Amino acid sequence: MLTVKNLMVFYENALAINDLSLKVGEGEIVGVIGSNSAGKSTLLNTIAGLTLDLKIKERRKGGERITLMGEIRYLGEDIVDMLAVHRVKRGIVLCRERHPIFPESDVMENLRIAAYLHPKAHFRKMADYTFDLFPQLKKYRRKRAGFLSGGEQQMLAIGMALVAGPKLLLLDEPLLGLSPAMQTRLVGAIKDIRATLGITIVISEQFARPVLPMIDRGYVIENGMLVLAGTGRELMENPEVKSAYFGV
Amino acid sequence: MFAAILIYGFINSSILALVAMGFNLTFGISGVANFAYGAIYIFAGFLVWIFLNTLGVNYFLSIILAFISSYLLGYLMYRFIILRVRGLPLSEVMATFGLGLAIMELFRYLDFVGVKYSLPVFIDGSVSIGGHFIDYQRLLIGVVAVALTVIFYFFTHYTKMGLAFRAIAQDDETALTLGIDPDRIGAFSLALGSSLAALAAVIILPLGTISVENGYEVLINALAVCIVGGLGSTVGVIVASILVGYSQTLTANYIEPHWMILVSLAAIAVVLVVKPSGIFGKQKELEERV
Ligand SMILES: Nc1ncnc2c1ncn2[C@@H]1O[C@H](COP(=O)(O)OP(=O)(O)OP(=O)(O)O)[C@@H](O)[C@H]1O
Ligand SMILES: [Mg+2]
Repeated sequence: MLTVKNLMVFYENALAINDLSLKVGEGEIVGVIGSNSAGKSTLLNTIAGLTLDLKIKERRKGGERITLMGEIRYLGEDIVDMLAVHRVKRGIVLCRERHPIFPESDVMENLRIAAYLHPKAHFRKMADYTFDLFPQLKKYRRKRAGFLSGGEQQMLAIGMALVAGPKLLLLDEPLLGLSPAMQTRLVGAIKDIRATLGITIVISEQFARPVLPMIDRGYVIENGMLVLAGTGRELMENPEVKSAYFGV
Repeated sequence: MFAAILIYGFINSSILALVAMGFNLTFGISGVANFAYGAIYIFAGFLVWIFLNTLGVNYFLSIILAFISSYLLGYLMYRFIILRVRGLPLSEVMATFGLGLAIMELFRYLDFVGVKYSLPVFIDGSVSIGGHFIDYQRLLIGVVAVALTVIFYFFTHYTKMGLAFRAIAQDDETALTLGIDPDRIGAFSLALGSSLAALAAVIILPLGTISVENGYEVLINALAVCIVGGLGSTVGVIVASILVGYSQTLTANYIEPHWMILVSLAAIAVVLVVKPSGIFGKQKELEERV
């Protein structure tokens, strides 16, 4: 479904992604594991087109010079130069880190905004599914999203991404800052999304432990470079991963 | 006397609200302070006049044509001027202010000066409210201001485009990840803001003559209302229009009609010193914008 080949991303002269290649098959859940500033967000943002958008904006105002090189193939098409909006239309939806929601709008309005590209019927179906997935959001339909807890905001953010109609869902550190119980609930929800809707998912995380039970395969990156790749089980048994990413 | 002040204050507040709405809309959504706003206002006024008197088009059609032209002017301004300096507020202000000056002074240069530059009222006549005569045009201004506020609320809360406006106003990067194109919405916000300037122009200008000075006055009034209310806040525009509107009417009544614009200038100065974010400024936590 998605093939990234020899991807390089420079912010000015600093290399954020270094010759990175990876593959995501249809229907898979793939993990991207790396510590702070390993390049997880840069990778996902580049796949979603946000880095290209930033590059265009920076060039307009003569700011930071951003360079993108390499290939990103999605459903047989090279999308390196495709604008973010068109990628969303083709089904690449990114849920950015730190639960991006519209704080001044209530929960329902957040979901309605997310349905920008879709007809009402699709919105209803996905909103209903979101409330099935996260029943505790139900009672907050009319509450301003800015007043929800971090965990609830993360649920809403995932719901919004679903309403946006993904074929490939990119989740940037959805477990960040959540309690272990909440993490478990979210992991369950992510599995459900794949099982029920058949959506392909890429999820990034700093630690391997919470995501390993749900991923089919994982990539470990450090300083923008790929250091390890394997199935969930292989990563779990790898001694390096154990010491570096299990946070023991 | 009291009833007269109440009525005329309301009309004056409506005029201010109409004048400020477009400026506020553009700023609230895209963060662009459109300093060419006053220029677009007189551009629309003179355009209607030209269509009507020079080209002999009928009044209604002239107005529609002026709307479309103002819409396009706003759109093109975004595409060809603002887009290049997007995200650099100072350059945005300089660019729009420069363009505004050019448009206004062009009209002066082309000798668009004099009492013949006036537009007919929509319906002649007046009604008596509580013993005070008030002409239909002024009444219409009040009605349109209230109607526009209501329409605007439904537009931003219940239509796709309106919701996209609210999204971009809050967080354009998150909006982008949902397929909402900030540049498209930005261009649209400028275009819509400009046609609101045109709307204000066609219903307010029949009260007097069209002059280049109107452009400066409208810009000052729009700024006053938006600064007092808190830039980008819709509730702020309404409250500030009422505050400034009634202060102006009282000033005109008890001191000197010429001092009305001084009220706006004083309001800008006082608010900037006392509470720079305005009454309903964005700095207030989770404030309703757009
Ligand atoms: N806009 C930017 N300009 C310059 N450098 C940037 C920019 N965005 C990211 N970087 C740099 O790129 C590197 C990778 O950052 P990135 O945000 O992708 O890391 P991450 O793996 O998501 O980290 P975290 O776990 O903290 O979210 C970092 O060194 C960071 O400082
Ligand atoms: Mg990150």
